[in-house]
Parts: sequence; C-alpha cells; structure tokens
Amino acid sequence: MSTPSSKNDYMLLFRGNTWDKDLSQEQVQKVVADWAAWFERLTVEGRAIGGHPLENHGKIVSGKKGRTVADGPFAESKEAIGGYFYLQVADLQEAIEIAKQCPGLDYGVTVEVRPVAEMCTVRQRAIENATRTRELAAAGA
Amino acid sequence: MSTSSGKGEYLLLVRGADWHKGLSPEQLQNVMSQFRDWLDRLTEQGKIKGAQPLEREGRVVSGRHGRIVADGPFAESKEAIGGYFLLQVKDLDEATAIAQSCPTLEYGSSIEVRPVAELCPLMVSMAKAGEQVELAAAIA
Repeated sequence: MSTPSSKNDYMLLFRGNTWDKDLSQEQVQKVVADWAAWFERLTVEGRAIGGHPLENHGKIVSGKKGRTVADGPFAESKEAIGGYFYLQVADLQEAIEIAKQCPGLDYGVTVEVRPVAEMCTVRQRAIENATRTRELAAAGA
Repeated sequence: MSTSSGKGEYLLLVRGADWHKGLSPEQLQNVMSQFRDWLDRLTEQGKIKGAQPLEREGRVVSGRHGRIVADGPFAESKEAIGGYFLLQVKDLDEATAIAQSCPTLEYGSSIEVRPVAELCPLMVSMAKAGEQVELAAAIA
C-alpha cells in the first residue's frame, strides 16, 4: 500500500457506524451490497488499491511511552471510523467525486477525503532546519 | 472487501496532528530520527504493510449523493488524523504494544488501534440474524 510516489494517493475515511440503526434488514442488505459492488468497481478500474471495514472494537493509546491504553468502544458514534478506501486517482477533485458515490451517505455516513502526504510535513521541516543549520555553519567557518 | 484478506491486519490511526508545535528544531530532529529508526526497524521485521502521513487539508463529504462538500477536518483538533500505519502482526496485543512504542506519543498525539475486519461487521450480524430466522422457521 506504500507506493514509491504518493502524489496521487488519497484516503477515504468512512465516519459514522450507526447509519443502519433505523433501517429495515432489507435496506441494510441493499446498502451493504451496493457498497461492496462500488468497491469492486473501483478496484477493477484501478482507482482503489486497498480498503477494509474496521472491527468495532480496539484500543486508544496515549501518554508518555503510551502508558494509557483505553478500550474502544467505537460503535454508536457519528465520528467513529468504520472503514477506509485507499485510492490512486488524478487529483483531489476525482477523489471527491468518488466519495460522493458512497451508498452510506444517504443514511448519515460522512466521508473524509485526505490526500496522502509525500513526506511528513514535520519531517520535511526537520530536514530543512538541518540543511539550514549546516549551511550556516559552513558559511561561518 | 479488499485486495488482501485482512487477516492479522491492524490499522493504527495517529490523532493530534499538532504535537510538534512548541518543540525546538533540535527536539524535532531528535524525534524524527527516533521515529525513522523505529519505523525502519518494524519494516525490516515485515510488520509494516503501509505507513504514511496525511496532508493537513482535506474535505468532508456528506448529505444525499454527497451534495455537501466542506473543507476539513481541521488539523488543530486533537482528533484530527495525521497519519496511519497498516500492520501485519499476531494479535491486538502486539499491535497495541507497537502503538505504545511510537516516539511521537511523548508529545501529545494519540493512536487508535483498530483490527481490520475480514468481513464487514454488518454482514456478519445480518448473517447471524438470517440464521435465527431459519432456525425459528425450522422449529415452527
């Protein structure tokens, strides 16, 4: 899933996993089937190169040395991430157009569209700082 | 629902994209090199299927047919996702231990550890509901 250049990589993060709450069994089945077909189509087109639903349980790790470990739950939330797609497309606009096709949107799912960074911006800044420090030292010598 | 089965896969979502604010350039370089070493080590062990930062800008699509496209989410938020790791490891305990060892935790980010589902959880519960209906019909 890590390609040599991430320039055209986008992640779709699907938020909200209570969208099925007020739907009939039949309606839920239809959405789930549509969703699978949508992913299938994108994969065949070569526009989706990965994607998974996520289990509703898990952990949240925080604090120094990750000393705080809390259990989910991640259910019952409009913000909870229920799954993701990993896309390779021309630009952000195309990623947005794909996001708009999500079958869950009609029932309250929201889709976060995030460009994958080529290089961590923090690391980039660290590298720039290191370069500048070296240049200054060289100039001073 | 993907090109891999998902078995043994865990998605780590790093939250809090502004953890590096207030660090001196020196501290920053330190953390970044620790982070790089940590990631390289895990990669050599074959545990990393993917690991990338996400750009700060993004969009949130919502509403019928996705008619609402808003800027966001906003990077200042402690909840904003700054990057992900996709791990291939033995179990949730191992994935959690790896999350705990991430060098950026020192400075305020948090990491959500989620098992990747081989089958959409909804499909699983629908299948279970289907079984119950069949059983009831058989007993009747």
